[in-house]
Amino acid sequence: MIEVLTLTKVFNEFTAVKGLSFTVNPGEIYGLLGPNGSGKSTTMRMILGLLRPTEGTARVNGHDIKKEIVKAKKVMGYVPEEPVLPERLTGWEYVNYVSDIWKVPRGVEREEDIEELLTLLDIKDASDDLIETYSKGMSRKISLVAALVHKPQVLILDEVQAGIDPRGAATIKEILNGLRSRGATILMSTHVLEIAEQMCDRIGIINEGEMVAEGAMDELKVQAQGQSSLEEIFLTLTGGPDMQLIAQFLGEESGEMM
Amino acid sequence: MTISELITLLRQDITQNYRMRGAKGARTEKKTLNRPILWTIGGIVVGVIIIAAVLWIGPIIGWDVISQIVSENLGLGSTIFNAILLFAFLGSIMFAATTVGNSERMEYLLVMPVEMRTIFMEKYLLLIIYSSIFWLVIGTPIIIGFSILAAHPIGYLSILAFVILVLSEVTIGTSIGGLLGLAFAKVLAGRRRLKQIGWAIMTSLGIVVGSLWYASIYLGEGAGWFNQIIDIAMALGFASDLTPGYYVSVMTLGLLVGAPLSIQHFFATLLIPLSAGGLLYLNSYVSELAHYSGWMRSESKRTPKEKVLEEHPPWNPNPFPRLQMSITTSVSMWYNLTSVKRESKVFTQYLLGPLRYLIWLILPVFAWGDELLFILPYMLTAALVSLAVSYGVSFAGYETVYEGRNLMNLQLAAANMSDYVKGKVLSAVPFTIAAASIVGVFYLIFLPATWFQIPAMVIGCIFVNLVAGAIAANAGASNGDFKAERMFTRQRGAAVRPPIKGLAIIKAQLIPNAYGYMGLFGLVLGSTFIATVYGLLVGILALYLLLPVFALISLRLYRSYSFKAGVKLAQLEASEYL
Ligand SMILES: Nc1ncnc2c1ncn2[C@@H]1O[C@H](COP(=O)(O)OP(=O)(O)O)[C@@H](O)[C@H]1O
Ligand SMILES: [Mg+2]
Repeated sequence: MIEVLTLTKVFNEFTAVKGLSFTVNPGEIYGLLGPNGSGKSTTMRMILGLLRPTEGTARVNGHDIKKEIVKAKKVMGYVPEEPVLPERLTGWEYVNYVSDIWKVPRGVEREEDIEELLTLLDIKDASDDLIETYSKGMSRKISLVAALVHKPQVLILDEVQAGIDPRGAATIKEILNGLRSRGATILMSTHVLEIAEQMCDRIGIINEGEMVAEGAMDELKVQAQGQSSLEEIFLTLTGGPDMQLIAQFLGEESGEMM
Repeated sequence: MTISELITLLRQDITQNYRMRGAKGARTEKKTLNRPILWTIGGIVVGVIIIAAVLWIGPIIGWDVISQIVSENLGLGSTIFNAILLFAFLGSIMFAATTVGNSERMEYLLVMPVEMRTIFMEKYLLLIIYSSIFWLVIGTPIIIGFSILAAHPIGYLSILAFVILVLSEVTIGTSIGGLLGLAFAKVLAGRRRLKQIGWAIMTSLGIVVGSLWYASIYLGEGAGWFNQIIDIAMALGFASDLTPGYYVSVMTLGLLVGAPLSIQHFFATLLIPLSAGGLLYLNSYVSELAHYSGWMRSESKRTPKEKVLEEHPPWNPNPFPRLQMSITTSVSMWYNLTSVKRESKVFTQYLLGPLRYLIWLILPVFAWGDELLFILPYMLTAALVSLAVSYGVSFAGYETVYEGRNLMNLQLAAANMSDYVKGKVLSAVPFTIAAASIVGVFYLIFLPATWFQIPAMVIGCIFVNLVAGAIAANAGASNGDFKAERMFTRQRGAAVRPPIKGLAIIKAQLIPNAYGYMGLFGLVLGSTFIATVYGLLVGILALYLLLPVFALISLRLYRSYSFKAGVKLAQLEASEYL
């Protein structure tokens, strides 16, 4: 369970996250949905103990991140938006390393688990290669394996589907569904509406660091006065495209081309 | 924090940086030479040779004689042991700040359920091991050799004492340097303007104060104008027998010759490893604070919607004004200067880092006093050559490698890569001129008789710099690690891979140095000789006739190496840098 309590993050003078509060329950996939730069990653980083909240706090399975961060980290798995990984380790060595740190007992069982995950995500044949040779999608996948290998109760995924092939995306979806039914707490972020709509039990729409709407799909529809698709809701709440600017740009472009 | 966590972290880092086993995977390039194993074998060979040499020379002098001399001067090694501490300090002033500043790259570590200070401590431990290796590889065999000669059981304890105390000294130096850097980062946090000059002031202060401290030990009493500084240093407790180096020396040598050591001395020496541990922990703790509270995070690469946090000059490929050279060269020069200057820490490191070698080269002359004053010009020249070479290596060699992904743009734009390399090489020239001129003024003040050689020296340096830059760029193009980040932890080769691999970087330093020494010493010695024999006028004439010859040879080298480097860069496969 994740309880976010009026989290605020100020960088210099710029406020990236403004008093955000929400709860993610066990057995639930919660989606943070928002345009680029709305504060999704910053929120996650605070929960993970990577950034100190300027104000507010969060509790992960009851552990206050400001007081018991190591305990909180112990139960969390994280897949960053752009994983920076130890390039000179092989995928296999990295996953093993992570297992050691999370104190997963060594042995056949652990090896089988790792192998299973690698096979599921189609990166088994690359697992003996140095991570520096991996593509972006492969890095994301190995990062997911590393996040899952210690069977976290709380999973935090930042734009996990970005740059992943359709088969991989479908696999991830199935894995997440499976974990949810086993009672995992899952917080994911995305700026892609379909993903939020398909995968999440509840959605929090944030814009400029503030929660503008929250709830299950049908609740959101009610909040947004009858608009039916998530896209309409999203655009109403976070602002649609600037049609005038677009027209101006297209005009200039066509002028130049001629 | 637990030891087992620390060991797990350390083991992975070492596997990572010094892979003994190659990776099996099909995508991974196979290397025929296993460098870590070669280095290890090399270290052992050096060790064995040193032991053999000690065992061979020792008996010729006679152990009795050695033992007696050492017993009477247990502080014999103070200077070198203090120097070890000082070197570790000078080399690490910004290490901790950089590690914390780059903590984004360690995110996969920082989410682990381990206290962050453990993670930082592991990084520092690696740096300490790395910085001690040289001293341990050279020093341990010497002590082993002598303890074999001494042939009494207590003598062997000196080996253990040596290893532990050297590691402790390096730890103390590194940690104090690290704390200083963090303190400074705290002061500068969020102050962009101050940051530009702040790092420069701080680094030079570190280097100068550190070197003065060293000088005060080196000079002992009664060396002219240094007296006052020494008095101050003594008042602060920095005289030679109060320094850590003194205690290390007395303990190691005392055990070696079996001299009676007082209990007080044992306790005082015990303080060294203890304070090393304490300082290391403090450094890790402060790093954790710095990371988590985000002192370093203000330098964001991301730009929030409304506010521009950091203003950078836009990419504006204008040719350098009033310089007759190809547009590519000119643009490359501009780009190189801008991108180096943008990162004040890197800039400072490039410009001031080599100063410490300079100081080391010049100090002994002051130490020996007036009789040796005639050596000073050669020392200054040597220092100047090294400076010119360092500038070439960092501005052209390292920066070529740090182009990284940008190489793709250059390749796609079909830029003339040789011209591009030339731009990088030329971007170091202004700094070489500045440094050489400052040294030139020194000459004029202390050695007015050499006035006629000064312009030749300055001009000669510029050409050495050109040659060094081109050679380094070529080394970078053929052996660079194009995925390296521009961090000085990497430049120093500490804990992380250096941007140019192994032997290539050593060659890129040695060859231009040798070339510069030969060239400039040839000019100075030759013209001094001619001036003494045939009179000043002939001397001057000879010097300025020979200088163009040196310049022409240098220009040829500069062109041919830039050309080679350019060809290599143009042919580089995208998989090397992407
Ligand atoms: N380290 C940082 N320093 C300064 N500003 C930051 C930093 N990290 C993020 N920001 C700013 O905070 C805002 C939110 O960023 P982020 O959480 O990454 O957005 P999202 O993940 O929703 O796209 C952005 O405007 C970004 O520029
Ligand atoms: Mg994000």
